Amino acid sequence: MSDEVLVGVFGAPHGVRGELRVKSYTQDPLSLADYDGLHDGAGRPVEITAARLLKDDLLVVRVKGVSDRDAAQALTHTKLFIPREKLPPTEEDEFYTRDLIGLRAETPEGELIGTIVAVPNYGAGDILEIAPPAGDTLLYPFTHAVVPTVDIKGGRVIVVPPAETE
Amino acid sequence: MSRSIWKGPFVDGYLLKKAEVASQAKRSEVIKTWSRRSTILPQFVGLTFGVYNGHKHVPVNVTEDMIGHKFGEFSPTRTFHGHAADKKSKRG
Repeated sequence: MSDEVLVGVFGAPHGVRGELRVKSYTQDPLSLADYDGLHDGAGRPVEITAARLLKDDLLVVRVKGVSDRDAAQALTHTKLFIPREKLPPTEEDEFYTRDLIGLRAETPEGELIGTIVAVPNYGAGDILEIAPPAGDTLLYPFTHAVVPTVDIKGGRVIVVPPAETE
Repeated sequence: MSRSIWKGPFVDGYLLKKAEVASQAKRSEVIKTWSRRSTILPQFVGLTFGVYNGHKHVPVNVTEDMIGHKFGEFSPTRTFHGHAADKKSKRG
């Protein structure tokens, strides 16, 4: 399942006509319904015929073949996946966060710093959160100066730790 | 009630001095600060601050859009990473 992307999970039924809620994990919540190749954890295809935004990242969807509340109830907690190759290509200097997570972070000399565990963005640029072999995680800005090389196929990024002044 | 205009924006004096030194040096360095209450001023644009969130220093690349906000707004004290799904990260 490593080349499968988790994009959402079915929630509770919504009404009595077979609609149900979905918690979308995609950047644009409604884009979940636009992806081809949507399927559940067992590989069964799932076709969303209609979707509307309820609030935040919560959608109400209608699924092909589901026409009553009981059938919708059976889908609750089902995770939704798409194949990795269905994701559109990224622009220059843009990376899928899931591709960055797990990469080795090394110094330009090849010394291991740690492994990328998250790429948060708190409104001031993307940040690489790197877990060293021991100790607390490290935070580095995801910029050209600090991360000159991103080699996803090679499974590593090169990090030049910036100087710090107090 | 909002802050009186005649007072001007609040910035801790020591942070202003550190930012001046860093902008003159023109090196890529992270200015560690605990001053979450300081307002982001136009002269901070282009600098990177490490804003303390009670646990660690979160890198904050200052851009024009952030002027007038406080540093603490960009360094949350509670975090939830969520799911990666199709989310993209851009190298700045």
